[in-house]
Amino acid sequence: MNHDVHLRAIVSGNARVFGQWMAACEPTVRLSLRSFARVVDTEAVLQESLLRVWQVAPRFVPDGKDNGLLRLAIRIARNLAVSEVRKLRARPAEADEIEAALAEEDAPPAAPDPMLRRHIADCREKLPQRPREALDARLSNEGARDDDELAATVGMRLNTFLQNFTRARKLLVDCLKRAGVVLDQELG
Amino acid sequence: MTPEEEELLIEQVAGAWRPRGDDDLATTWHKAWHDLDGAGRERAFEQARATRTLEAALDPEGLSTTARAVLARITRR
Repeated sequence: MNHDVHLRAIVSGNARVFGQWMAACEPTVRLSLRSFARVVDTEAVLQESLLRVWQVAPRFVPDGKDNGLLRLAIRIARNLAVSEVRKLRARPAEADEIEAALAEEDAPPAAPDPMLRRHIADCREKLPQRPREALDARLSNEGARDDDELAATVGMRLNTFLQNFTRARKLLVDCLKRAGVVLDQELG
Repeated sequence: MTPEEEELLIEQVAGAWRPRGDDDLATTWHKAWHDLDGAGRERAFEQARATRTLEAALDPEGLSTTARAVLARITRR
């Protein structure tokens, strides 16, 4: 699918449509950062990259090929990761890792899977109370508060909160397996 | 570091929360990321991927907490 169908609305400043674009394209941009995972905080780089895509979108000129904005996002993310690595000058292997990352082919955008959504929602309903509270706290927080604060909102200590979140994820994955869904396959 | 302690660090790094820079604009790195070795950071990356898939499937608009965090910053500006 060509996600540039959202381009006109994004360029005009429609944040809700940019959200739709992110929902479709975030996994691909994230995956493009995999080879940097040892040397940069890829989550921070990814969020900063998506913000920059939003900022530069009004000046984006399509080249006529599909998914131009996604290709731009991948380029921004990789450039930012490379820049961070250069700032760190962390490891002698950095040049190889950068080259390997830049040589990767752009992965095609992931397609949404309504069946997976339904299975996960069903499995969430079956979670015990405390793991579900931890899961819901993160889901409703929009990344605005750290885990210390979130733990306090549900009356847990940090370690207990994190253990409950881990448990929630594992229970979801186990439940999905019983429903015939293997998450690793879904992730490609 | 015990395996249990490492698991908790990985869980934090795999989350979407990130501190802001002094100007509240730049996204900065999670302090727990620095405490992980290379293998731990790779595990955190894969865990984040899997978790975002779950989150997006649970969100009414299909957004992960990463996308929600970015959107919140865009609409707040």
